[in-house]
Amino acid sequence: MAPTPQWVKELKPSGPQGHELLKQERAKSKLPVEQLSQFLFTRGGLERKHGILAILEKEKVFYKSQNYFAGRVDRFETALARAKRLRQLTVQHGWSVEDFRAATELISEPGPYGLHESMFLITLRDQGTPQQREKFYKPALNYEIIGCYAQTELGHGSNVRGLETTATWNAEDQTFTIHSPHLTASKWWIGSLGRTANHAVVMAQLVIAGRSHGPHPFVVQIRDLKTHEPLENIHIGDIGPKFGYNTMDNGFLLFNNVKIPHFNMLARFSSVDPQTNRYMRPSSPSLVYGTLTWVRSTIVMQAGGVLARGVTIATRYCAVRRQFQDRDAPEWEKGENQVLNYTMVQIRLLTLLAATYALHFTGKGMMQLYETNQNKMSQDVGQVGSAQRGAGPEETHSGSDLLADLHATSCGLKSLASTIAAEGLETCRRACGGHGYSSFSGIGPWFADYLPTTTWEGDNYMLSQQVARYLLKSARSVMKGEKPTNDTTQILSNFLAKSDIGAAFDVLGRDEDIVAAFAWRTAFLTFEALKHRDEQKKAWNDLLVDFYRLSRAHSQYLVVKNFYETLQSPSLTAELDPETVTVMYKLFRLHSLHTLENEASEFYTSSAVTVRQIQLARTSAVMRLLEELRPHAVRLVDAWDFPDWQLDSSLGRYDGKVYEDMFYRASEQNPLNAITVDPYPDSPVLFKKNDSAQFKSKL
Amino acid sequence: MADYLVDEMSPYHLQMSMFVTTIREQGDEAQRNHWLPQIEAWKIIGAYAQTEQGHGSNVRGLELQARWDPKKKEFELHSPTLTASKWWNGALGRTATHAIVVAQLLLPQIQTPSIDAADDAEPRYVSHGPHPFVVRIRDQDTHQPLPGIVVGDIGPKYGYTSMDNGYMLFNHFRVPHAAMLARYSRVDPETSAFQRTGSSAVVYGSLTNVRANIIMHARLVLARAVTIAVRYCSIRRQFKDRDALDTESIPETVVLDYPTVMIRVLPLLATTFALHYTGEAMYELYRRSRESIEGGDFGSLAELHSTSSGLKSLCTMYAADGIEICRRAMGGHGFGGGSGLVQINADYLSKPTVEGDNWMITQQVSNYLIKKMTAAVEEPHMESKDALSDHFRRYLKQRTTARPQEVITSNGTIDDTALVEAFKWRAATLSYQAYQQRIVQKQRWNTLLISLHKLSRAYSESILVTNFHSALQNSPLSEPTRSTMRDLFHLYALHTIDSDARTFQTTGALSAVVLDAIPDRVLDIMTQKVRPHAVKLVDSWAIPDYLLDSALGRYDGKVYEELFQKAHRENPLNRVTFNVDWRSSEIVKGDKDSEARILAKL
Repeated sequence: MAPTPQWVKELKPSGPQGHELLKQERAKSKLPVEQLSQFLFTRGGLERKHGILAILEKEKVFYKSQNYFAGRVDRFETALARAKRLRQLTVQHGWSVEDFRAATELISEPGPYGLHESMFLITLRDQGTPQQREKFYKPALNYEIIGCYAQTELGHGSNVRGLETTATWNAEDQTFTIHSPHLTASKWWIGSLGRTANHAVVMAQLVIAGRSHGPHPFVVQIRDLKTHEPLENIHIGDIGPKFGYNTMDNGFLLFNNVKIPHFNMLARFSSVDPQTNRYMRPSSPSLVYGTLTWVRSTIVMQAGGVLARGVTIATRYCAVRRQFQDRDAPEWEKGENQVLNYTMVQIRLLTLLAATYALHFTGKGMMQLYETNQNKMSQDVGQVGSAQRGAGPEETHSGSDLLADLHATSCGLKSLASTIAAEGLETCRRACGGHGYSSFSGIGPWFADYLPTTTWEGDNYMLSQQVARYLLKSARSVMKGEKPTNDTTQILSNFLAKSDIGAAFDVLGRDEDIVAAFAWRTAFLTFEALKHRDEQKKAWNDLLVDFYRLSRAHSQYLVVKNFYETLQSPSLTAELDPETVTVMYKLFRLHSLHTLENEASEFYTSSAVTVRQIQLARTSAVMRLLEELRPHAVRLVDAWDFPDWQLDSSLGRYDGKVYEDMFYRASEQNPLNAITVDPYPDSPVLFKKNDSAQFKSKL
Repeated sequence: MADYLVDEMSPYHLQMSMFVTTIREQGDEAQRNHWLPQIEAWKIIGAYAQTEQGHGSNVRGLELQARWDPKKKEFELHSPTLTASKWWNGALGRTATHAIVVAQLLLPQIQTPSIDAADDAEPRYVSHGPHPFVVRIRDQDTHQPLPGIVVGDIGPKYGYTSMDNGYMLFNHFRVPHAAMLARYSRVDPETSAFQRTGSSAVVYGSLTNVRANIIMHARLVLARAVTIAVRYCSIRRQFKDRDALDTESIPETVVLDYPTVMIRVLPLLATTFALHYTGEAMYELYRRSRESIEGGDFGSLAELHSTSSGLKSLCTMYAADGIEICRRAMGGHGFGGGSGLVQINADYLSKPTVEGDNWMITQQVSNYLIKKMTAAVEEPHMESKDALSDHFRRYLKQRTTARPQEVITSNGTIDDTALVEAFKWRAATLSYQAYQQRIVQKQRWNTLLISLHKLSRAYSESILVTNFHSALQNSPLSEPTRSTMRDLFHLYALHTIDSDARTFQTTGALSAVVLDAIPDRVLDIMTQKVRPHAVKLVDSWAIPDYLLDSALGRYDGKVYEELFQKAHRENPLNRVTFNVDWRSSEIVKGDKDSEARILAKL
């Protein structure tokens, strides 16, 4: 490829320059960015991130310049090299779990050890007996064996009870036979399985003497520890390219009557007695589901940050990008308008900016709830719960209110938060106009990797049934006159007490009334659903759409409530100066009123607000908030403190050198430009010249 | 058709579309005679270079200069800044030998002779706006860029991987007078004067053609996604019915029987047909407008431009969002390469921002509607020249007295005409409100942008509903099919109303009682009327398996076999065995140098 001519190197973007515009943006607002970052992440969290960044940036294997260019096999190879190096660094620097997580967030690509490091280790730890932990968990912790967690199959995902892989107990030699009776029994989508793992936790239907006892976890060695080839009668491979997540080897796995010893069934919560051949369930299975609750809580916790990446990129770029003159601008005001000044860009970006903060605070609240629950659970292990899940729609565990509340909250918020984040990222990408479509925007690839979150760990639509079931049960207890025991039953009782006199919430004047209006709408929809189900005896299936809306309404209430409670907390006023607190309140109002306006019909059919209030919310309150928050936009995204290295985006650069960076990546880092084609259709030659191999090695 | 079936953006795509269309429509006779035979014989390969790094939607803001040199009678193309670099132009990166280059035409100001001015002083140049030039950019033999031109591929994108979207910079690059396409405007080579022979809006003519194509394309893209989703969701089973008496013996429920799946997929199925009928109507409109433009009448350009803008925005949004909705409705497998929706989704996602950003261009629609409404208010009794003006005048007469439409009659049937009227009434009321805010109250344009976007959408929806309805009136279909089409019409219209019930109420188009009844009605139409025919309805789009390229959407339903086939046999990653020991620098088994090789590429 010909070197870049001097006259090209000398070209500058037309003025005003991106870095000047971002400087002006930052000068428009006095928001203390550092203080706000510390409030969000704590000083320790920020120091950890920047310390680890300094180490990673220096390692050549982590250079990101070719990430957007490389094909799947190359990307996977590199990802494996990175995963190894990350492990080496972890040992070398003695990194804690938090340090390690900070590093993976900065690297921001799923790695081949991903499922080993998460579900494999957690399952061995939580579901193994002490002897099993000794035999499997310990070597796994040292990466002497590499594992994955094989649950979903070609034919079954959300419906775990429908899995087809069998584990049949052989009384005569005290072994289990793992077998895939159909093609649809093939394990599918299993992360780290395709090329990496040599062990798997396999979820299979336990069959004893012809009777099935439902899915249980078994540890199975699947590849030879020396040759890394699959063991006999085991067929494994990678399932092929996906929408995103292509640095991960999601795999398939089939068994042809593979025998494993009795010891390999993870037996902390249930086991087969080798003497009597009987199925035993010594302890509560609720803890098993604890793992999933933890995973969902983590998704809620991360959603704010996931979205904030897109919002950071789009906000900075829209402050640099200028397009069209303002129609109403006075003659003397020359030049094109920053795209961020357009209200139709603001209504998309600033509302999402508010959502990032709302989700962040909600995630923190969710994690607290989880930890409270864990503490309580560990005090009364063994006292809770029947094992039969899903026998009937209304049957719920007899366990503590807190557990039920946590389960429903985690399901509803996982569904809402990941939907907001995924759709929000695409909105951010589109707000960047044409350049958003380039990989260099950094949003598209990030969005693609995030998308499976909306369907995994419980499909976002399926999960809403769990929330509805919990709300219906709570409503029934309130109807029976039982005393409220938590926030959910409290808001339902309040509604019932006032349902004859109605409510008048001053959503435009008082912040606490906003929260109350959201609560009112949830309660209204809950009792409506209860009427459909209990009085009109409608089929469960016919109510699913209503349940989805109900779950969404309830979760929106939780987000608004968590945001408001954070604003009311003493730590907020202690850590933030009064002006910043005012801005936080505005973000709260923008998020809540914008949500309220989008869901307007439910708010007025429930009589929580009037049509007039909704009109005013849209035409006046939201518009005013957009105007008031506009000057702080860039500083508010700066507070999320994403290093450029992590964003890997031309459009989202901190210094605003958008166009220079795009041009540099296109002309200097792009291997396609080292190829000269023969363009004429009649010629059999495709490439006249192909220097792309040298081009790569030159970099 | 072959190109459509291969379904991959070919580097030759622009040759057959924008390149040839622009020369055909905007070249004068001599230019057409010169270029068209060479294009048809594929002696030259073309690209269309309009957007730049710094400017997309705002065509008037383009920075590339075409400066007329009266002495040498040539144009000099020059990129004064980095942001003047052409950017995103398909086929430009590695393929094209020629390009249509849109540049600001700079002409010397014609000055009255002045005593003070020195004779050889550099003349002052004025811009006459963006104009198209045909330029050879690469050498015929070596295919290297000509001196003074820097051109390359802009790098990877969300999708469109098979297309070499390019960048291009000019350094005082000279082209002859004949390079400027001169059918509607030209530079007089003797006097250097600018001459116009038609409307300046004609420059946007090709863009409008592209938009009409985009709308027709949207319906096919959406039909593909819906075909895959409907077929797969009628094979996939998950969970047993909770209300079933005997849960042991019944099979699991077919996913498409869940209302939470129906509510996502079936309205989109109805939308494919809505888009189809409007696409046909658009082509007709475009054809009629072209005829009148060829006949020298530029009057229809405004309607064509605004209608195409609004529909482009709405239809591409339907299709882009619809693909993703279908993909998610299929659960986990939707994320896999076997879904057939990964590439189409990624490729199609450029559409909401390409050829006029979906949010930006809705301004053109609203602007047009406000103008029409202003005319109707100011001259209420004048005879209307077109259907829209006529509707606005009728609206103004009935504005204060009309009652909401009774779309659901007392005996429970749906009144189709009332349904169409409700959409038109809502669009007219929103136009009137916009007129009030902008013309009467003189509110700032920028503060109105969000409601103007909604107005554009409401107007475009009314066009879709109207076209769907009139297609039913004149339909050659036999009775049972016709009645199913009518169900789809109801599903599209009622579902659209339910998604924006608020404006139907606040504009007085529909009453709260009717609006409250709609969700149950939608469920009823879906479960009773549309669900039984869903698979046959998607079959009627007749999309071959080769085009779908989807394991999940196969016509014969062999979903799982095909997924396995693709993963197992067609997947190069499965030919590589890795060394997964974290202490080892060997990445690929048996390849000692693998780490060094990987590092060398970074």
